[in-house]
Amino acid sequence: MTTARHISFLTALLLATVIVRAQTTTTQAEQPELVKALLTRIDKLEQRVAELEAGNHTASTARPQDGRQQDTQIPKAEVVEESLSTHMHDEHPNGRVAEPHFPSMQLHGFADVDFSATDEPGSFSGFNLGQFVLHVASPLSKKVAYFGELSFTAQPTSYTADVERSIIRYDYNDHFKLSFGRYHTPISYWNTASHLWLWLQTTISRPEIVRFSGRFMPVHCLGMLAEGNIPSRSLGLGYEVGLGNGRAGTISRAGDTGDINSNRAWVARIFARPTAWRDFQIGGAVYRDKITPVPALTGSPTFGEWISSAQIAWTHETPEFLSEFANVHHRDNLTGLVYNSQAYYVQLAYRLPWEARKWKPYYRFEYTHVPPTEPLFSTTTFEVTDLVGSTAGVRFDISDFAAFKWEYRHTKHRPTDPPVNGVFVQTSFTF
Amino acid sequence: MAKTTTFWFRFAVAAVALLCAGRSFAQSGQDIAVIVNPKNNVDNLSMAELVKIFRGERQYWRSNLPVLVLLRTSGSYEREVVLRNIFRMNESQYKQYWVSKIMRAEATSPPTELYSSGMTKEGVTSIPGSIGCITASDVRPGVKVLRINGHLPGEPGYPLH
Repeated sequence: MTTARHISFLTALLLATVIVRAQTTTTQAEQPELVKALLTRIDKLEQRVAELEAGNHTASTARPQDGRQQDTQIPKAEVVEESLSTHMHDEHPNGRVAEPHFPSMQLHGFADVDFSATDEPGSFSGFNLGQFVLHVASPLSKKVAYFGELSFTAQPTSYTADVERSIIRYDYNDHFKLSFGRYHTPISYWNTASHLWLWLQTTISRPEIVRFSGRFMPVHCLGMLAEGNIPSRSLGLGYEVGLGNGRAGTISRAGDTGDINSNRAWVARIFARPTAWRDFQIGGAVYRDKITPVPALTGSPTFGEWISSAQIAWTHETPEFLSEFANVHHRDNLTGLVYNSQAYYVQLAYRLPWEARKWKPYYRFEYTHVPPTEPLFSTTTFEVTDLVGSTAGVRFDISDFAAFKWEYRHTKHRPTDPPVNGVFVQTSFTF
Repeated sequence: MAKTTTFWFRFAVAAVALLCAGRSFAQSGQDIAVIVNPKNNVDNLSMAELVKIFRGERQYWRSNLPVLVLLRTSGSYEREVVLRNIFRMNESQYKQYWVSKIMRAEATSPPTELYSSGMTKEGVTSIPGSIGCITASDVRPGVKVLRINGHLPGEPGYPLH
């Protein structure tokens, strides 16, 4: 008897689970259709209310099926203007829903978890926690907005927190916007388009030319930045002009606590986003600074720095093509000798059409050349080495906001160094 | 008894599905009107200009008034047309596009999402710089319908449907 009761109870439990599961599945499958139906219902009710308010009870409630019928119902601009006076006095409580509120802070985050294994002597394979980045955007009024970014990076004994960006921007119009604060130096496309947000970039790593905490080009600048569109019809020209402290004594950092000398750095970039080629961008930039290295080099030289760069980016994904070139020109102000270092990368990716477009294989080639006699980049403290590297990998988008990436890298630095091969895996996401 | 209940449940589900399908079919192919506040002195936009405005590449009207894009929520016919014709993106690409745009400090927020045509109309009527899209047959006095590439909804060559 007891056994029969237990069996009945278990059968009932099993049946209940199956029914609940079936109902859940049905509900999930019907949800988009239900939303669609509800939205349509709201529209229909609103239409009916409008007709009733207009005293047009006899008007047809059927929607027109062809263009001619529609044309007869659409009020022309002139007609709208005439009838405006009678309608503008109406209260629009729902209109307030659409009105922007100030300040209205939006918080986004980026994070990543990585695994790496290389054949570099002395290196260990294993997991590591990438950067944890918090991004804030907050309009303060119709024409003033604040953008902030804070990063936390794992170190052997603790975490370091860094203010990556903190700018306040005043918009006059599309042609002139002025920002003050710590911004991403617009000398490189990658530096402004992806920066620390690994989920946004196709690959696991950044190219060496714009490596985070790299020394080849300044990644951040503290000062002011003017930007905007240049009237150019379908050419889509734009500009960015910045003035700031430039490189700090430690040349990988911006002079956040004040400039290291009384010479301001400036940067100017011009780019085109032609209307006909969506997601395409081509541009060039120049950067001028005076470097005062700390600790000082032998003889305490300062360096005049000119960086010129060119960028081309097509982020359409079928295919995606990115390429940048930069020349860093240093003039030793003590000896008058000049040195030129070059670097470039070419990256190609393609979003595959199958399996809901989740897979994107990619390949990148990168190259850096620094003259052996370069007085700044050849020192241990400020070292930038030659590089010939290839990166091949694939990105898999797990969801709209999370991705898995697998990457193989083959790099060779100095001619005497052995090549290094490595396998890298990353999951990066935004939240 | 259970059989009868199952039958009626299935019948109800099928009826709702048919109703939705019928409704979607009735809406599909209809022109979508681009509406602005009547005080806005713009009467005509090229498709390229419209794309720039909706994608947040152009954020001010010529009078230096900030543009506020109003968009219907996911699941509506108007949004489907806007995403297909103006953004040329699916829902996922659209969401990713705005996350990256905000990260790059090119915008502070995505377009404001509204649940109905009525809310869109009222938003456009009450906010001078706003622009929205509603089904052409839902247009009522109090808003201005823009010509796109010189065409009004219903005219041959109108691009949004």
